[in-house]
Amino acid sequence: MKKVTVDPITRLEGHGKIEIFVDDDNKVQNVYFQIPELRGFERFCVGRPVEELARITPRICGVCPEAHHMAATKAIDNVFGVEVAPAGRRLRELLYNMFYVTDHTTHFYILAGPDFIMGPESDPAARNILGVIGKVGLETAGAMIKLRAEAAEAISMIGGKQIHPVCGLPGGVSQAITAEQRDRIVEITAAQVEFAKFTLKLFDDVVLANTGYVDLIKSDAFTHATYNMGMVDEANKVNFYDGKIRVTGPDGSELEKFEGKDYLAHIAEHVEPYSYLTYPYLKSVGWKGFVDGMDSGVYKASPLSRLNASDGMATPLAQAEYERFYETLGGKPVQATLATHWARLVELMYAAERAHELATDPDIIDPNVRNIPTGIVGEGVGVVEAPRGTLYHHYKTDDKGMVTNVNLIVGTTNNNAAISMSLKKAAEGILTGGKEISEGSLNMIEMAFRAYDPCFGCATHTLPGDMPLEVTVKSEATRDVIASVKHNM
Amino acid sequence: MTSSPVSNTTCDELKTLVLGMGNPILSDDGVGLLVAGRLAERQLPAGVEVAVSEVAGLRLLELVRGFTRVIIIDALKSPAEAGREPGEVVRYDASDFKGGHRYGSAHSIGLDTALEVGRQVGYDMPGEVIVFAIEAEDIETFGEELTPAVAAAADVVTDLVLQEVGG
Repeated sequence: MKKVTVDPITRLEGHGKIEIFVDDDNKVQNVYFQIPELRGFERFCVGRPVEELARITPRICGVCPEAHHMAATKAIDNVFGVEVAPAGRRLRELLYNMFYVTDHTTHFYILAGPDFIMGPESDPAARNILGVIGKVGLETAGAMIKLRAEAAEAISMIGGKQIHPVCGLPGGVSQAITAEQRDRIVEITAAQVEFAKFTLKLFDDVVLANTGYVDLIKSDAFTHATYNMGMVDEANKVNFYDGKIRVTGPDGSELEKFEGKDYLAHIAEHVEPYSYLTYPYLKSVGWKGFVDGMDSGVYKASPLSRLNASDGMATPLAQAEYERFYETLGGKPVQATLATHWARLVELMYAAERAHELATDPDIIDPNVRNIPTGIVGEGVGVVEAPRGTLYHHYKTDDKGMVTNVNLIVGTTNNNAAISMSLKKAAEGILTGGKEISEGSLNMIEMAFRAYDPCFGCATHTLPGDMPLEVTVKSEATRDVIASVKHNM
Repeated sequence: MTSSPVSNTTCDELKTLVLGMGNPILSDDGVGLLVAGRLAERQLPAGVEVAVSEVAGLRLLELVRGFTRVIIIDALKSPAEAGREPGEVVRYDASDFKGGHRYGSAHSIGLDTALEVGRQVGYDMPGEVIVFAIEAEDIETFGEELTPAVAAAADVVTDLVLQEVGG
């Protein structure tokens, strides 16, 4: 058996990697996806006032601090048993949807763009954000950068800071916004709606108009019949900030719908000796290994799964796109991993519309943004949909509110089993048959990985900024290197 | 955008941004933030501003916009084969960390890419980028303490940056 290692995944050299074991005909035997371990988080938190967790947990991740801040704040509401003031809730949801607009936009142009706008097997030297800018034009690129800057400006009005918001307090938020700030946020969110429309049109022109791409998206190598998880409102429409967790099956039927606080009754974690990261699965179905189907408890928690687990979107333009999504891809559920990119844009449309809807609500400047807690429950769960999947924060405290126990299930962890399966299947579809392992074929395997936009909860290093991608084929028996492909990402 | 400015010299000729980067709760990863905090307490020449950022990538664009020179201080974990000792300080300039602009995750967008994107969309981007990288021992354990070698290096880098800005 030979071993193929794909090691582009993390900036912490030597930690995150994909290992593909193949036999002499390049038939894939197994795929292991490993990530680095960050140690001592619970020990770091225990003994601190629970309110601090809304400022500590966002530091786990440099990409979605806003999601951790929201989940933490909601968990802390529950630790103190305090009802959130309606005005505070509106501001939290507004901030959160503007964050989604930024995150989903960035993913599309920077991560999906190179594969779809440039092409999955195009010249790797241009298959990057700069190539994308060259192709979509400076005007679009400038609009994307402006959107990011404006969203940061609006988020800081509510969040107090642009990156690590500090507004969330038990019972609401720390301050109201003024009418002038509201006017600016209305302007910014109106522009976000327009940019979301433009981006969907671009996706239409570049991806959907290309039958090769549509065939690739629908192809078996990128398809998985798993369960789908997502948060929904009372009408079973997608909601990022609050609602119940709904799980639907590979056949599209509802398996269960539960309150975030009951997550432990529904989700269990499988452990493999080679990975620090656990493999969450649905308790009621059970762990049957890395396999598809109704009998396997593996689930996805991603933009795609959120659409599958819902009955639609709560805003009109997003709903229209939702309907077109399922009409085009053959009805619910859509299990094509690469369709996650389109699903992300349906969500982008919703986030922009929802943010604009909240910004134009006359009550958004209501100054009663917080209820002061009067007691303590000592335990609380907070759940939001992070861009990369359902995010669970669970805290326990003593009767003074000092932390005694912390448990988190983060977006990427939910998808750990599904990502491993997607990589294996893509590798099988692309490598099998003794074909030469080219840069392009390797990139196609990575596409299965990038669709989830996995996030490793690491620090923020950018150095040295030059990350070699190395594929090594080794003899399983002798460990000798048989072939090696190396290039800079 | 990404930062909390820790010193705000208002001056028409703001040219240099000293930017401490890292994560304050991942042991040695906090060293860049610590050094920036110390520098902010010093008397620095006119036109030098100090900021910190706990995030990287495109979020840096707004932060460095309008400066002619950026001096970054960050922890770095080199591959074992590089043979670097914890606390070792390496000075890079922009040409040392040119990437290929392609990434596995939205996390990993390099500074080089961010600067190039900024230039392309017409932002006024710094022409000079200097990085003081401090070789870390541990950036994987949650904690607010630096390891001894890295704590010692913080003093060294503080002086190096002061020399660089003429402070």
